[in-house]
Amino acid sequence: MSPTFPDDGAAVRLLGASLERGGREVLRDLDLDVPRGRITAVMGPSGTGKTSLLGLLSGELAPSRGRVLVEGQDLAALDRGGLFALRRRMGMLFQEGALFTDMSVFDNVAFPLREHTRLPEELVRVIVLLKLEAVGLRGAADLYPSELSGGMARRAALARAVVMDPALVLYDEPLTGLDPISMGVILRLIRDLNRTLGLTSVVVSHDVQEMLTVADCFYLLADGRLIAQGDRASIRAQAASSPWVRQFLEGEADGPVPFHYPARPLWDDLFAGEAA
Amino acid sequence: MKTTLSQIGSSPFQAVSTLGAVGLFFVRILGAIPHVLARPRALVEQIFVVGAVSMSLILVGGLFVGMVMGLQFYTALARFGATSALGGLVALALLRELSPVVTALLYAGRAGTSLASELGLMRATEQFKAMEVMAVDPVRRVVAPRFLAGVLSVPLLTALFSAVGILGGYLIGVRLMGLDSGVFWTNLRESVRFRQDFLNGEIKALIFGILCTLVALYEGYHSDPTAEGLGRATTRSVVIASLAVLSCDYLMTAFLYR
Repeated sequence: MSPTFPDDGAAVRLLGASLERGGREVLRDLDLDVPRGRITAVMGPSGTGKTSLLGLLSGELAPSRGRVLVEGQDLAALDRGGLFALRRRMGMLFQEGALFTDMSVFDNVAFPLREHTRLPEELVRVIVLLKLEAVGLRGAADLYPSELSGGMARRAALARAVVMDPALVLYDEPLTGLDPISMGVILRLIRDLNRTLGLTSVVVSHDVQEMLTVADCFYLLADGRLIAQGDRASIRAQAASSPWVRQFLEGEADGPVPFHYPARPLWDDLFAGEAA
Repeated sequence: MKTTLSQIGSSPFQAVSTLGAVGLFFVRILGAIPHVLARPRALVEQIFVVGAVSMSLILVGGLFVGMVMGLQFYTALARFGATSALGGLVALALLRELSPVVTALLYAGRAGTSLASELGLMRATEQFKAMEVMAVDPVRRVVAPRFLAGVLSVPLLTALFSAVGILGGYLIGVRLMGLDSGVFWTNLRESVRFRQDFLNGEIKALIFGILCTLVALYEGYHSDPTAEGLGRATTRSVVIASLAVLSCDYLMTAFLYR
């Protein structure tokens, strides 16, 4: 039984959430609030459990401890039907877009509408064309995913993620592997869609400088733990006091995250044979 | 000691738990069948994709198997002066054994691999995850229509294989070796019983269709989301389906033709 959740502006809330995968704790005791109507960036180096965090938010993964509240609903208390009902108000942009390869761009974007609504086909067409127009791909409606560049695929997937007018959109590494122009386009879309559609956005990314330009609210993860949080100014201010935050924001090669993978001393490795 | 024991125990345990997982997957698919029937268009599309692509292979395969049998049986029968039995012999061998088994093997190699690799690719490119997040059940939307299409296709392909195979036997026996056409067809008609021979063969084909399609879909759907995982799933789908068909064939022959 989930407690009543005060509407204090948090669309998503993690309360002491931990996650275990393959016997290893990948996320530890996370407390995190995603303010409604804002863009929240979750940043951290690769392999710190950022994508797992999105899995928690979408209900794909269940926390081993703690709770995940989305729109006030405890995900653990929902059955499959309840979870699916919640997901209809949720959109997600996957790292490589995850467009359905056997459908055209148009059909990809129309997919959620055709699955969940009984709208007449003319109306579906209008909605899909408007969403494609918003991401600049109306002209590419008849192309197949294999004919799209990486940036275009990501934009088509974004149109699909928002076609049901969700309240919450999750972005999994939306900028990875894009050229600077496509990156700029995606960033602009994240910002514009958030504003015009009144969305709440959660962006998981390791592209620090880009995120600092669009997001309102920041969480930094390292080793499955939260090490810094705050708005743009306070994150920058924390770089001065925390060597970890500085290393990550400045992209320094060595620091609290060591350059070397853990190993025994070089001397032992090189001369072990002679000593024996 | 303990590790040795657990190693010995682990592989049967794994085999049993995999069987259980396949069984649960099968039940999930069966539960989704009503939804497939509510969308006949998707089913027809899949029958075309799964069944029709195997057709040329089945036609050529059936013709040559029939021709080889015509040749072999004719020379063997000629030694006893019993060439008049050729029609029945070719037809029975095809209807009872060769058509279901060879069709299933060809189907596993052609359609099974393409199903496994298609689903493996969807897994690797997070398309199933995307569906789940869109509150769409991939088993219902993707797996079940392909399953039903495969299960319906194999018996049809088997019947086609038999027809073409008999034609192959006829071409060799009658046209090449000079057996009388009337003798060939009369013997065939007198030897073949519709229920025992034709229908039992079709029951086999149905079971093989379920086996091959289920294995291919299971392997593809549960493949590792990597390039290696995709390749492995494709290979395993043929190997496992072929073994399942051949071993199951013996059991079914023992039961159906007692």
